[in-house]
Amino acid sequence: MSKYPCSIRVGTSGYSYAEWLDAGFYPPDTKPGAMLQQYAQQFSVTELNYTWYQMPRAPAIERMRRQVPPHFQFAAKLTRYLTHEIDADQWRVHAAQYRDGVAPLIQSGQLAAVLVQFPPSFQRTPENRHYLAALLDELHGLRAAVEFRHASWATERVYVELERRQTALVSVDAPGLKELFPRLAIVTSPDLFYIRFHGRNARGWRSGNMQKQFNYDYTEAELDEWAEEKIERMAGQARSGLLFFNNHVRAQAPKNALSMMRMLVGQGLMR
Amino acid sequence: MNRSIIHLNIADFAVAVERVVDCGLQDRPVIVAPLGSARAMVYDMSEEAYQCGVQKHMPLRAARRLCRDASILPPHPDRYERAMRALFKQALPYSPLVEAGDVDGHLFVDTTGTSRLFGPPVDIAWRLRRQVKTALGLDPIWSVAPNKLVAKVATRLVKPTGEYVVGAGEEAVFLAPLPVWLVPGIERDDLNRLREFNFTRVSQVMALSLAHLQVPFGNRAHFLYEAVRGIDPSPVLPAGRQRPMVISDHDFDEDTNERKVLESALYGMVEQAGRRLRQQRRAARRVSVALDYSDGVRCARQSAAKPATANDLMLFKTARQALNRARMRRLRIRHMRLTCDRLVFPPAQMALFPEERQNREKQDCIVAAIDRVRSRFGRKMIQVGRTLAA
Repeated sequence: MSKYPCSIRVGTSGYSYAEWLDAGFYPPDTKPGAMLQQYAQQFSVTELNYTWYQMPRAPAIERMRRQVPPHFQFAAKLTRYLTHEIDADQWRVHAAQYRDGVAPLIQSGQLAAVLVQFPPSFQRTPENRHYLAALLDELHGLRAAVEFRHASWATERVYVELERRQTALVSVDAPGLKELFPRLAIVTSPDLFYIRFHGRNARGWRSGNMQKQFNYDYTEAELDEWAEEKIERMAGQARSGLLFFNNHVRAQAPKNALSMMRMLVGQGLMR
Repeated sequence: MNRSIIHLNIADFAVAVERVVDCGLQDRPVIVAPLGSARAMVYDMSEEAYQCGVQKHMPLRAARRLCRDASILPPHPDRYERAMRALFKQALPYSPLVEAGDVDGHLFVDTTGTSRLFGPPVDIAWRLRRQVKTALGLDPIWSVAPNKLVAKVATRLVKPTGEYVVGAGEEAVFLAPLPVWLVPGIERDDLNRLREFNFTRVSQVMALSLAHLQVPFGNRAHFLYEAVRGIDPSPVLPAGRQRPMVISDHDFDEDTNERKVLESALYGMVEQAGRRLRQQRRAARRVSVALDYSDGVRCARQSAAKPATANDLMLFKTARQALNRARMRRLRIRHMRLTCDRLVFPPAQMALFPEERQNREKQDCIVAAIDRVRSRFGRKMIQVGRTLAA
């Protein structure tokens, strides 16, 4: 039994990477179509990144859902049309399309959260604040978790408003760059806390190349700092928690995720 | 190995390019068709015009009736070719395997095995689209799929805007509910035949075994069997090594349908193409002639050169056959294009019979002598009588 009535799940951001074959996470010759089933043997949750690139379509989501056991959960990234390429006239239509696309996960109770990740260019301006408020209204009932990439959002008023809306603020572990949202461990929803580990590769982060940006291997000490100091406290404030590792480039993500799981089990935070 | 093919498709390519040139054409119906011809046909149209019922190759007069407020522009093939080259350049940094369509806004990029350098194919596709939009002002539809056939269907499906990702192993499931006409390569004759059996959906054709398909379709059965299952092993051709060919174009000062004038121009083009072939030490196995009629309709026909040749006299004989095949309408011709492709090294096999051999040698000597004169004194110093007739 865990110490807290908080159900924590640990996974990776995406699961279909050719590099993970080379790194030995997947058995050699695993087809891309069989990776999710393999992944689900070790993890109970994953973050769907492709829903950012492509508007999710219910039949494809349903086919994917059927590949995993019923207890397996998905956190789906919100489409780029609502976070990075916002069309002032069409965004409500896109929000409705998104909701329709992930409907199979909602119906089966396997949608752990919707990750609303904004780009660094999305700064705290009155216009963006109004948009965010309207977007969260539109996503009502979808268990949204908001990730900011700009430091201007790191203010008490933002946390208070998210608390009022019972919407999770995503805690990010990223390089300590001045302009980035800081490494905080704040729980704004009694329902969910959500942490994303992007790696701390500062030079890679500035390169604009994803393969360098997310190329980082967490040390045991770095993970331990989260597990001992932060996650334990966060677990006391929310009913569930999601942890995702996005440092996927050389399969560090699944390795670090498994280490984190062992630590949390050791602490009695996970079974 | 599982492949990842990106397909970029710029919907209504000619209109998209014209809109970059003149942004006043945005968000309004546009028809591209040759002006000044009573029987002009539609070359391309915008989505707005399409929604009004305008279609490609429709008489412009009918298109005007359907869409009265459309802006009508003449085609600018040179602009479209330049845009195509620019599009091609955008994709080159991501893969050596980039294949462009025939000035139609289509581009295939094989990103298999590049993820260690550039990230997941879906991210490359998204970035490529963003780059094309920023650099060229064109907004391509994109798809990522395990092969070219499925990638092409995917972009057709989301036209006029959007994206589609088809995962490996999902090809058949993806195609099953779609109408058969969406699958590239399944042509009008196949569709008519399928309709006779009341088959309109891919899933219906998929239910048939290869043996079943062979009964009505014979040799085509194998292609159909694989196409409806999303099987397509055809490679994305390497950039710069795409179907080596030699092309020569001719615009007539005045539109014409006179055989003498056409053949005279054709000979001039054959001379240009032949010279380039000889410079490259290549010979063509196929010669195509494409005619652009004054109403905007293009008709292309080809003829096989047996044996492969780079000799003007032999090439002309083959090109004239292709011209006769393409010249099937009684309309005047505005533009003619000669394409020599299926290039090989000149065949070493000599003709069996002495008479034929001597004849070929004589022709080669004449052409070599003309080349020598021209290289020393200029192209116009020696001309074939046929070209003077025009």
